[in-house]
Amino acid sequence: MAPLEPWQKVLVDGEKFLPTDHGEIACVDCHGGVQSPDKETAHEGLIASPSAQPEKYCGECHEEQTTTYPFALHSTQQGYWTALEARSVPENHAQLEEMFGNHCATCHTTCGECHVSQPKNVGGGLFTGHVFETTPPMTRSCTACHGSRVGNEFLGKNEGLAGDVHFREARMNCIKCHAGTELHGSSSDPTPFDQTQGRPAPDHRYSGSEMPKCTDCHETAAPGGDDNPMHQAHGDTLSCQVCHSITYTSCDGCHTAISETSGRPFFETEATYQTFFIGLNPDPSEDRPYKYVPVRHVPIAADSYEFYGRDLLTNFNALPTWLYATPHNIQKHTPQNASCETCHSGDETLFLTEEKVKSDELEANASVIVETLPPLVSVEKFLNAPLLPVDHVEHASNSCTACHAEGIREAPISPEDHLEYKDDNCSGCHKLQQ
Amino acid sequence: MSKTRTASLLVLILFALSACASKSPADAPAKTDTPAIEAAEATAAPVNDECLICHTDKQRLIDTAKPEVAAESESKGVG
Repeated sequence: MAPLEPWQKVLVDGEKFLPTDHGEIACVDCHGGVQSPDKETAHEGLIASPSAQPEKYCGECHEEQTTTYPFALHSTQQGYWTALEARSVPENHAQLEEMFGNHCATCHTTCGECHVSQPKNVGGGLFTGHVFETTPPMTRSCTACHGSRVGNEFLGKNEGLAGDVHFREARMNCIKCHAGTELHGSSSDPTPFDQTQGRPAPDHRYSGSEMPKCTDCHETAAPGGDDNPMHQAHGDTLSCQVCHSITYTSCDGCHTAISETSGRPFFETEATYQTFFIGLNPDPSEDRPYKYVPVRHVPIAADSYEFYGRDLLTNFNALPTWLYATPHNIQKHTPQNASCETCHSGDETLFLTEEKVKSDELEANASVIVETLPPLVSVEKFLNAPLLPVDHVEHASNSCTACHAEGIREAPISPEDHLEYKDDNCSGCHKLQQ
Repeated sequence: MSKTRTASLLVLILFALSACASKSPADAPAKTDTPAIEAAEATAAPVNDECLICHTDKQRLIDTAKPEVAAESESKGVG
């Protein structure tokens, strides 16, 4: 995104802006200042970003959004703190808060930084002559901040890797999936508490309801929804991205500091590289019950914030460094969904096995490392697996071995070669007769 | 034209002009709930708004905008 000239950033397009609802409001009502032809006088008491006080300046007309937004993740940045608090101890919070203020807090987003101007951490500047955009312009708003991973993946900017099918084929923008209800938040209680869900509001992008959920649009891809044997076998154990995303970006070793020469904050990332690894879901929940998910190495290191104090991440190993990921480069056909054998052949290439994790990060990643590869299964074997009798609908559970291990009630004894599937759900292959 | 007629005509012109004035946010559909914090009171943007006179004038902004010295980023790698 090319930077704007200083005059471009503040040029108001009278023809477009004045006929809009916001154009009917006097400039000084939101921006303060003084009516004067002299620039310096006019800018006395200027409020450059009125929506930094959303309830005061936006709330009269947008009450619903301004009530919930102060508790939304884009406003609170609570996701960062959830991770920082898990990896540290309260005694270190003061130094981490200083670090956060210098390096992370600029990502806090006001209403205006999505709806009327480019975010300040990419230089700011009005989008369209001060016209408020209901849908933020994707590349000047969303991917201006979420560019190095999500933006590059979605738009196909990683060399040799196709962009997301939703962009390539349907020209969908971010808002098509990430609706206002998600971005504006749904909590208005400082606890905070999600009133629409009746439970605590999300404190991280992967807590709370899965939003967006692929099956909201692709309804038949849910288990029991179509004839695709992959969806039926894996719909509740693999996140959609395991089969439908491709290689994505991982990063290592981000370190933050204040420049001795300029006095400004800066960071250095040791490495950025392309990976695709399937790991274990470290925290299966009702909303995300998946056993396997793609995992991305995030740029955290035990000494990332060493400039601000020694050993600030005392509990560094409390969270993985290979984290649950939802790469934004979805494809219908991917190398891994080409056949069952890609995953069920004993080939560990696609899986985050111990050898792929740095030795000093093994403890942190114990919950995501795949120790046992999925059992060997051929397409032929899968498709020819006997169906369960109709009366087994009453027994639909994971306890098949209760009868089939020893032949209780004349149940056929599970073959010896099925021992390797002992940790898997039998219904993955043996479907219930319709 | 008598002074009385002139005055009446002026009143009529002022009335007509006020009807054409831009809509104030106060004319917007009434809200049912009161905002938690007192909202900034909005008034109609005057036609001779000094802010707009300057900020819609591209050349004037070019002439008066304070040059920005782009500080070279000292960060390295992907953020």
